[in-house]
Amino acid sequence: MRIIAPDEVVFGVDNLEGCRQFISDYGLIQHDTPTGGYRFEAQDGTGITIERQENPDLPPALPTGSMLRQTIWGCEDQDAVEEIEAELSKDREVTRHADRSISCLDDVGFAIAFRATRRRPLDLGFERVNSPGSPVMRPANVLAQITDPIVPRTLGHVVYFTPDSDKMEAFFVERLNFVVTDRFTGTGPFLRSRDNYEHHSLFLIQTPPHMQGLEHIAFHVEGPTEVMTAGSRMLEKGYESFWGPGRHVMGSNWFWYFNSPMGFRMEYDADMDQHDENWVPRELPNTAETAQTFLFRSAEKFLPGGD
Amino acid sequence: MHRNEKNSDHGLFLCADNDIEEGRSRGFDPQKHGRDSIFVVKKDGLYFAYRTQCPHIAQSRLAWRKDEYLNGDHSRIMCGAHGALFEIDSGLCVSGPCLGQSLFPVEVEQRGTSLYLTDSRYIRGWSAD
Repeated sequence: MRIIAPDEVVFGVDNLEGCRQFISDYGLIQHDTPTGGYRFEAQDGTGITIERQENPDLPPALPTGSMLRQTIWGCEDQDAVEEIEAELSKDREVTRHADRSISCLDDVGFAIAFRATRRRPLDLGFERVNSPGSPVMRPANVLAQITDPIVPRTLGHVVYFTPDSDKMEAFFVERLNFVVTDRFTGTGPFLRSRDNYEHHSLFLIQTPPHMQGLEHIAFHVEGPTEVMTAGSRMLEKGYESFWGPGRHVMGSNWFWYFNSPMGFRMEYDADMDQHDENWVPRELPNTAETAQTFLFRSAEKFLPGGD
Repeated sequence: MHRNEKNSDHGLFLCADNDIEEGRSRGFDPQKHGRDSIFVVKKDGLYFAYRTQCPHIAQSRLAWRKDEYLNGDHSRIMCGAHGALFEIDSGLCVSGPCLGQSLFPVEVEQRGTSLYLTDSRYIRGWSAD
């Protein structure tokens, strides 16, 4: 099906200015939408759009009060979009839009859309670490640099609270050719598009129906140092850490999640594992031990004294 | 201690009453943990105080930013972790993951133009006699 990853996620919010300030502080680049909302972009053009919840042009809201309105998946090209349209039209209404994107509902009622991806190829550096026994990565006299501001590079993954994880998994795997990378027993699968080797673009969490919505969105930053720095800057601005910083077991990605006024968490992550068709999926129980390798909480800076 | 008991000999000064705007919220750290452990909402001139912990997940804290505990129109308390909404005066969750559960109330008392924390669980060095 030649789907890459989520291009954009759309929300109808009740606190437009609070959300605007939050996402801007998080580091995405703000643009205005024609309808009085904001579209925020990572460095490659993927991102988040927020509109006032009363905006009549938005797809309908879920009955649960979630502010999520639509997830737009980026595909390799327009032919891929039309392939998906042909497949999904077999058993549901699929709307084609003026910009040649298509939209419909998935099998548990989430609004989804597909378009030829608008993401731009990135050609950026990577976190250069000097490891004894390996070639020096930063030449002499070159200092470790930390970017300011940190603009996340790309939309990494979306995570849903779903009333039927098995049904939703079957939809993505059987209809859209996604692959299960790993699984947490009783919780849900980590999914990736067959053509995308990132550990996951989608993770599903089985929950009661009244919780249906978005659980979190993650944007990738350069590396662990950017996760730590970006998160620390959010704390300095008064935002509330939910979980992190730490490193996951499944996916190995460094993570730091923050509460938000949008009713879900925003995550900075980095250094995620890549997997291909040779990977044998793991299944683990979902516990505190399997959810992270280690976990820290930010502390106030201090100067260790000599006396 | 019940909400109706007044014990004027005890209590920790939190703030002056115009330190919290009508219809807004504010967090406090009475035990000097370095993070707010309680928050107060002022609604119709009355104060409603709760622990900052969401009933949904024990480690989860409600604010989405320092002193920000309310939804867009300030009609409900909102959890910044998963968007649950709670009635301000009762703490009852009316929408979201912890539907039907309640926030953990904290005893506060208005005395003149000041707000005092009177809940012994949150006052460092308190000994109940």
